Amino acid sequence: MSETRQTTDDAQATTDSELAGGASPGTDQPLEVTSGETRERTREEWVEHEFEGEAKLSVSDLDVYYGDDHALKSVSMEIPENSVTALIGPSGCGKSTFLRCLNRMNDRIKAASIDGSVRLEGEEIYQDGVNLVELRKRVGMVFQSPNPFPKSIADNISYGPRKHGDLDTGLLANLLGRSDDDAVDELVERSLRQAALWDEVNDRLDDNALGLSGGQQQRLCIARALATDPEVLLMDEPASALDPIATSKIEDLVHDLAEEYTVVIVTHNMQQAARISDQTAVFLTGGELVEYGDTDQVFEDPQSQRVEDYISGKFG
Amino acid sequence: MASATDTALVSEDTTETEAVAAGAVGLAAVLFALSLASVFELVTITDPVAGVPMVALLGGLLVVLGFAVVTFGVGSRLGYVATDPRPTAGLLASGTFGLIWFVVGGLVASQTLGLGTAGWVVASLVTGGAAFAVSAAPREDIGSTLPAGALAVFAGVVFLTGVIGPSWVWDLGWEQQASFNAEFTIPVLTAFCSLLVGWAAAKAYGGFGARGRHIGAYVLVYLNAISIIALLFLLVAFTVLKGLPGLFKGLALGAGAGPEVTLVGVTFSLPVSWPFVMNGVALLNDVNGVLPAIVGTIWLVVGAVLFAVPLGIGAAVFITEYADRGRFTQVVEIATNGLWSTPSIVFGLFGLAFLVPRLGNRKSLLAGMLTLGFMLLPLVVITSRESMLAVPDEYRDASAALGVTKWQTVRSIVLPAALPGIVTGIILGVGRIAGETAPILLTMSGSVAPPGSQTVDVLGGFQLQSAPPFVTNPELMQATSALPYQLYSLITAGVGESSNISAIDEFRWATALILLVVVLGFYAVGIATRYYFRSKLQHD
Repeated sequence: MSETRQTTDDAQATTDSELAGGASPGTDQPLEVTSGETRERTREEWVEHEFEGEAKLSVSDLDVYYGDDHALKSVSMEIPENSVTALIGPSGCGKSTFLRCLNRMNDRIKAASIDGSVRLEGEEIYQDGVNLVELRKRVGMVFQSPNPFPKSIADNISYGPRKHGDLDTGLLANLLGRSDDDAVDELVERSLRQAALWDEVNDRLDDNALGLSGGQQQRLCIARALATDPEVLLMDEPASALDPIATSKIEDLVHDLAEEYTVVIVTHNMQQAARISDQTAVFLTGGELVEYGDTDQVFEDPQSQRVEDYISGKFG
Repeated sequence: MASATDTALVSEDTTETEAVAAGAVGLAAVLFALSLASVFELVTITDPVAGVPMVALLGGLLVVLGFAVVTFGVGSRLGYVATDPRPTAGLLASGTFGLIWFVVGGLVASQTLGLGTAGWVVASLVTGGAAFAVSAAPREDIGSTLPAGALAVFAGVVFLTGVIGPSWVWDLGWEQQASFNAEFTIPVLTAFCSLLVGWAAAKAYGGFGARGRHIGAYVLVYLNAISIIALLFLLVAFTVLKGLPGLFKGLALGAGAGPEVTLVGVTFSLPVSWPFVMNGVALLNDVNGVLPAIVGTIWLVVGAVLFAVPLGIGAAVFITEYADRGRFTQVVEIATNGLWSTPSIVFGLFGLAFLVPRLGNRKSLLAGMLTLGFMLLPLVVITSRESMLAVPDEYRDASAALGVTKWQTVRSIVLPAALPGIVTGIILGVGRIAGETAPILLTMSGSVAPPGSQTVDVLGGFQLQSAPPFVTNPELMQATSALPYQLYSLITAGVGESSNISAIDEFRWATALILLVVVLGFYAVGIATRYYFRSKLQHD
């Protein structure tokens, strides 16, 4: 049977019987496939995930193109409230692109065009008249490499609310006696405590944030994102630039955050996904969502052969 | 098996040969310094130094160095000195030596031996070709020492025998009566030869090969850097020394010594009287001064900066943050670069033809400010754009992900992060416009050396009135002087001779010094500003 697969050069031609029985990777490697990856047809039921409660985000038929490059192919998934959803997959599979679609950060890339629907609590975010400021307040984001602003720790935290006009600490506000200094102090402390950073930095809130270590900077970025009081927190490989100790702190933090927030996290690290997430979505080469389901099920009993190969480290 | 000297990881103590080579390098450096000193006439070439005339000292040292280097090279070739040479000195070194000896051969044949064109061409080709062959064909230890050493010995002998002596003059025989004299030629040739020999000695010290080349290049670069710094230092020192006597003429300290001033309604006497910077030029002054020009220069720069910086930063924000990168931004970029390289006299003409007729139809401080502002504008745009592009996109992403609008991101993140770079650009631009003469000449110059009473008082000149334009400032519309223009007029146009300035030479140099101080003052302000903004961005 593996003989058949090796000579196949059309993914759609692979039959179900082969999918059920074949475990050996193909040696004939067609285009657009990571080395060692077998071919198979993805099936609708693999990406159906049953869960209790409301869907916070529901994505249907999302296609993303970067110029001629079709980066995401008709992705549909529902992300439950107050949980951790991990997106895993090899490099270039579109998982970061998917994440950036959830708060319309892809709008900032001129070459990107997006087609499909993303609904936040039932409201379509890809329609005219969407207030991006409000959307991004509700759907916060943490990036791969820590990127605090070259300002003080406290200013980093209060930056979002101040710029939204929720808090006013300007000179004029001070003169008029309307300054929100106390509210700012409270916000800084609350956000830093949520990000498990308060105990480490509470004596140097006015120091420049660039003086913190990498792990502290990343937790500061999480605190900064939490300061705008979002409902969803998107994290794009937040621990990939950090050492194991800092990584485990971030993982603990993500776990705690899931009680209040809906966390969607992209990671390269499969152990990390298995440890911290409630459900896992596996993207494979070509921008396809191949399997989505309960994390335990995806890791222990994947339905897709390619996902099993990927998880067991045969490619990617 | 390679010999131990080649492969030893840790070299032993300095060997005698290394010490000799190092001594040669040091001597070459000393010789270079001596020749520079004579170029700038700190020592004339006939002055005795350590008992011998300078020219003999230079020549003698060259001969000694040349022989030392050649001896070292030959010793290495014959195996007396352990080195690690390459098979050849390389094309660059050979070509350079060939060219140098080509020139030497030609000059000797045509000038000293008096041969005709055919003669010197043949001689040039022979010497140049021989030098190239000697340098390229044998092993590196011969190839890089022999031509250099021979040149030094040759030059030394020429100086010592008086072929080029202190009274030597090379008349080029042109209509313009151009000639070179020994005072300049001997030190320059010595400096050149000492660089070459120093390089060869440094290579020898490194045992040739890769290490030798590294050390040779290091010595060359190092000596060059030192000489350039020395040059800059001399330039400033020259102006300072010439300017100081005039600058402090009539300086008096002590309570009540200075003129009376009124500040915030209180009248008191300054505790210092410094006529040169407190007076203008007037018949009754004991010591004439340049106060109107100093104040004029300062207001010029302040006005130009106030005009150009907001406009320039605004334009840069637009083309960097808002406009799509494409043809339009490219055209803007090319245009701004072109404007920055446009000669200042063109800006001056524009000011004269466009601004002056529209601003009261007279040369005025305001016209000068705007003209210099136009000159400053492109540099502000260029440097602001560069430093905004250098702000990491991560900051913009992070800000956008927090739901902050583009303009607020630019204002609170991008501009603060770019400010040190922007300030650097402004510093550079101010350095240029503060010393500009041509635009001032065309747009704002009044009398060359105005009396102190004509000092512009921009702040005090504002007047309110009930009819439009409501606020006027006659001081801005007044023609005044500025330091570079005053200097230009006093020196080139010779205006000073007919005016009532006594000791005109002292006055000129002191003016130059004041201009230098004013420009450096602007630099200091700019650097302090940059330091302030940068320290806000950095953690310590």
